[in-house]
Amino acid sequence: MQIECRNISYRYASESEPIFENLSLCYDQPGFHALFGPSGVGKTTLAKILWGAIQPSEGNVTKGRIKTVLYTYNLERLPDWSTTGRHLEKVTPSGKDDLRQELVDIFDVRRCLGQRFGGLSLGQQNRVNLVRYLLQDFDLLIMDESLANVDEKTRETILMHLKRLFKARMFIYISHNLVEVAKFCKKIAVLRSGAKKPRVVWTSGQDLQLGGELQQGQVERTMLEIMNAA
Amino acid sequence: MLPRRIYQFFLIYLLGLLVLLALKYGLRLSDYVIPGLESLWQTLCEVLPRYAADVWDTLQVAVIGQVLSIILALVIGILGRKTTWFGNFIKAAAYNVQAYPIVALAPIIFILLGDGFLSRLLIAAMICYFPILLTVLGVMSEPVADVEHFYRSTGRMRWQLEVKIRAFENLHKLTTVIAGSATLAMAGTIVAEFIAANAGIGYSIRIALYQSDLARILVALLLIGICLSVYQGLLEYSGSLVKKAWTGSA
Repeated sequence: MQIECRNISYRYASESEPIFENLSLCYDQPGFHALFGPSGVGKTTLAKILWGAIQPSEGNVTKGRIKTVLYTYNLERLPDWSTTGRHLEKVTPSGKDDLRQELVDIFDVRRCLGQRFGGLSLGQQNRVNLVRYLLQDFDLLIMDESLANVDEKTRETILMHLKRLFKARMFIYISHNLVEVAKFCKKIAVLRSGAKKPRVVWTSGQDLQLGGELQQGQVERTMLEIMNAA
Repeated sequence: MLPRRIYQFFLIYLLGLLVLLALKYGLRLSDYVIPGLESLWQTLCEVLPRYAADVWDTLQVAVIGQVLSIILALVIGILGRKTTWFGNFIKAAAYNVQAYPIVALAPIIFILLGDGFLSRLLIAAMICYFPILLTVLGVMSEPVADVEHFYRSTGRMRWQLEVKIRAFENLHKLTTVIAGSATLAMAGTIVAEFIAANAGIGYSIRIALYQSDLARILVALLLIGICLSVYQGLLEYSGSLVKKAWTGSA
């Protein structure tokens, strides 16, 4: 399972300079990976190129054994005409009811099910939104700040269980949380600003699993590497 | 909502009446030009049953015309929401046609269809159709990206769902334009009656105009205002009920 960008270039019509020029990047195994970088560097644009919503002007994206790519971001909303519970039921593919129940508990959103989306806090909204994506069939899920506004403890629980439940799938996690990325992610691509070469620097996170022991030293080293790279 | 509309109308009507009376007494105008309060009261008692029936007749035409306009605007708006050649054609045509004063076409309609019910209905429908169409087109062709993203990326998006999402997200806009178009439908019907029809309150106003009977015209305006306030109030109330049922909050 791999997704690879080869020498991609892209420029927004409103900008004079390209956001990417000959950018290459490859995630080559299932697991929980990260795309890290300062604001405005092009993480979301790159995510949309990987997802397929944006076509690069040059270069190509190849998806070896990845058939379904989904992209979710933190500002998404569920329609407010019925409760979140009803929405989740409606978008649950057949045979995944047990998974839905499990995710509802892991994400701690059971008490939100009787409410409409607009009545939830931002953190609850993001959790409910992510649950519905995890219920879908996908090979790669790109999570763009999907756990923003969720408290640290709940986020940690979610990430641990997500890695346990979806071992064979690939995730690309876009986050500004340095500790979280260093702790939970396997491969970390640090996307740097246009002036810096190379544009992407790779480092490895601890990829902490449920029940695993946190290697504080390794996490700190990774954080330093990311900071230096960015 | 309903009492507020009627109360506001009465306030404006009374202000207008006061201005007229101030003109009458300030410029010492005769009852023939601006009737006094006594004359107004007598006229009201005299023509109330007939004018009330006329206003009811006009309102019926306006309501039917408005309903037809809403249905047609929804159908065309939904069909024209896409950025296809058809959608672009519908939008361009709607924007251009609405810039033309539709009421100027009324004589053609009367020549072709005569001065009966159908002509009044057609003019009422045409006058309130374009504002509704433009709003529906605007609402339906504007994606609600934050809501639609999931359904699109998971292949669940159907046209019915797309329309439902966009209508739901713009419910306030749609209910406001529908309530507002009631005035246009009523105005269209009255103008049609005023030009050439043989029934309705517009027709009665035309006769009063030929007789220079301002008292009758003022009574007709009073009844039109009450009737329209009640109708608009009911439309707004229905809109709030729909909102409450759909969103769970008023």
